[in-house]
Amino acid sequence: MGGNEEKIREVAGRLLRDGEVNLIIGHERGTLPLRSSPCFVTDPEDLDRLIWDPTCDINLAKYLHGRDERVGILAKGCDARSIVVCASEGQVEMDRVVILGLPCHGVINRKNIESEIAGREILEAIVTDEIITLKGEGFEEVLPTETFLDDSCMSCRHRTPPVYDVLIGEPLPEASEDDGYAEVNELESKSAEERWDHFVDEISNCIRCYSCRDVCPMCYCKECFVDETMPAWFGKTNEITDTMIYHVVRAIHLTGRCVDCGACSRACPMHINLRALTKKAEKIARDRFNFEAGISLEDTPVLGTFKQDDSEEFII
Amino acid sequence: MNAEVKGSGPEEETSSEGRWEPRIIAFLCNWCSYAGADLAGISRLQYPPNIRVVRVPCSSRVSPYFIIKSLQRGWDGVLVSGCHPGDCHYISGNLVARRRFAVLKDMLEYIGVEPGRVNFSWVSAAEGDKFSKVVREVVNRVRALGPAERLVKVG
Amino acid sequence: MKHMTIAKDGIRDFIDRLVKRCRVIAPVESGKILRFREVSSGEEACFDFHNTKLSPKEILFPQNEVLFKYSKGRGAIEAEAGPSKNGEWVIFGIRPCDARGITLTDLFFSSGEHKDLLYLEKRGRSALVGFACIHPLNTCFCTSTGGNPFGREGMDLLLVDLGERYLVEVLTERGERLIEADRGLKDASEVDVDTANKLSRVAEKSLRTRLQMEGLSEKLDGMFEDPLWDRVHQKCVGCGVCTFVCPTCWCFDVVDEETADSSSRIRLWDTCQFPLFTLQGSGFNPRPTGKERMRQRVMHKLNYFFREHRAFACVGCGRCVRECPVNLDIREIIRTIMSE
Repeated sequence: MGGNEEKIREVAGRLLRDGEVNLIIGHERGTLPLRSSPCFVTDPEDLDRLIWDPTCDINLAKYLHGRDERVGILAKGCDARSIVVCASEGQVEMDRVVILGLPCHGVINRKNIESEIAGREILEAIVTDEIITLKGEGFEEVLPTETFLDDSCMSCRHRTPPVYDVLIGEPLPEASEDDGYAEVNELESKSAEERWDHFVDEISNCIRCYSCRDVCPMCYCKECFVDETMPAWFGKTNEITDTMIYHVVRAIHLTGRCVDCGACSRACPMHINLRALTKKAEKIARDRFNFEAGISLEDTPVLGTFKQDDSEEFII
Repeated sequence: MNAEVKGSGPEEETSSEGRWEPRIIAFLCNWCSYAGADLAGISRLQYPPNIRVVRVPCSSRVSPYFIIKSLQRGWDGVLVSGCHPGDCHYISGNLVARRRFAVLKDMLEYIGVEPGRVNFSWVSAAEGDKFSKVVREVVNRVRALGPAERLVKVG
Repeated sequence: MKHMTIAKDGIRDFIDRLVKRCRVIAPVESGKILRFREVSSGEEACFDFHNTKLSPKEILFPQNEVLFKYSKGRGAIEAEAGPSKNGEWVIFGIRPCDARGITLTDLFFSSGEHKDLLYLEKRGRSALVGFACIHPLNTCFCTSTGGNPFGREGMDLLLVDLGERYLVEVLTERGERLIEADRGLKDASEVDVDTANKLSRVAEKSLRTRLQMEGLSEKLDGMFEDPLWDRVHQKCVGCGVCTFVCPTCWCFDVVDEETADSSSRIRLWDTCQFPLFTLQGSGFNPRPTGKERMRQRVMHKLNYFFREHRAFACVGCGRCVRECPVNLDIREIIRTIMSE
């Protein structure tokens, strides 16, 4: 990934200077080790801020909503798929967007790295596709990047964006044969009671900050269902039934739309494994409707359409 | 907060022997299932009295929120019944709803709501007999599960 | 000031004894994170930590609190106050930044003629036992906001980790009552006190983030229309993380959770970063975009609150910096403002 930074700046610079776009949305170095941060560039002089490495974990498609400008956006496979989903739902006008596709080896899971370091503070980090070099007070450690990739990256099937205007970097083969449903399958093999206990445990730390919702490009409703007041369907306290329902309904709303970018799980300050729910939503779309989100601009939303022979084995 | 409040949740009901009886809320589409239920009544077909009917114009009027909210309010079971695919009074309402119900059922069962709490059926206006059988089936399923606890809102 | 010591491994026994007299709240492992929770024994508490994920404000000002309930009985409306836990509380293991945050929260909930009785009642029966910060994090900037890694504001006892034992500084009468005649505590020696003072100086020096915040409030006064706000908010996604982890954020929403015949009026954490925060019944929103909302957050914490109380509504704990999902960094914002 790193070797392509120059190319990214070059392409972005050309787009800005030629007036093809008014704004470039990319990633820049964060203020903390292991972090990057979204970057909005309008001046070609500022393009040196743009970086590209495994810390670039934010789904930038989020920032396309509600824009008038013509935008050039850096997009990993998952980001590009998010753009496709939003475009197929009429939220993004593709002729005002230039997708700079970035073949991606995966982004890091900071929480796993911090766990590995066991409470010691990381003061400096350099992350490449191969190794993560960590420095702190009295320690230096080198970790293999591959082992500390985010879970969603471990089973990524779209390391090369399926849709793009410019591809920056060589197309990449898929990460693995693994379909990424191991955790979902394992939960499905348990009893209902075991599953309930598992999810209650997992969700019980939720503080209803909605970080999961707000980093998701597909959560763009002006009024989220949890905020509806006439009527107020569900409560906003962290009583387990209300919190569980918030997460379940959000996952239902994401069926056939979620691209498993992992941004929600990464964003959660309470370390809740949200992908256990969103991945199930993705699996339902695959198993019941033979659908994978964000591959083609001609897609119709899964819950907005039907087939005569849709499965109805559950109907008496 | 007591979830069992008149008008919004099931009042606790016990049989004459003091046993718990399942309380099931049934959303029936006006044109088919509600008529089918009516026919069952006219034909004097017996079926368990545990359902409370809510008439809706079409099964697609039933939002997943209704079903989840019912479970929150303490209903032990939910039944949603509509026209057979192809027979919907509004042409395709039940076809749109079918996907929605499938996703909802899959997700709820995944997080541990017992299979059998949330039920769906196609019952036509002529199927009084089927309606009574569906209700019996659903009541049996819910009775076997016991009172609903998992999503019940305590307040 | 009275100084005592307690053996490192005596702390858990001390908590076991405390638990018999009052409720003890301490950092515990909750899922994969550390949070303040009530403990029933010293075993449950965790003391090997930098700081908890959420500040202890969630004990005195919980995410949700029932104000009262009412139900329609026969011809009358019956109301009852929300449930509350009684008895003395000891919140064990608070860092100086968080304790200072509590004193600022006290200011907020007790200022003016309308005092928040719900908060103040709980606060009145809370004792705070602090842990001095020997190793501030890179993200800590308590000294820039007027605090100190060995700060004692708000505390009843301050514990300093001397290695094999803790120095226990008794700061208030309440603190004295907590340790009264406890067999686990001995008098401290002069060496102990000296060691603690040395650690204090080292800790203060070790803070890497030092922000120039003098004059910040005055500067902000003239910056309401500054173009800086157009840039600063761009990456903010409008979630509530910064607000909810912050020891000095205390905005709340009041909702009624109703059924046909009864209702609970509940207050909940709210954040000025949510679009709905200032949405009026008419549909008009005086803070329609992230720009106005981010400006409000910075102005409130670093200007308006300062003007009223001569203290920033920020204790430099660094949680917002660590937890923001897009790495929006208040330290950068402060630096940018001061350099303009």
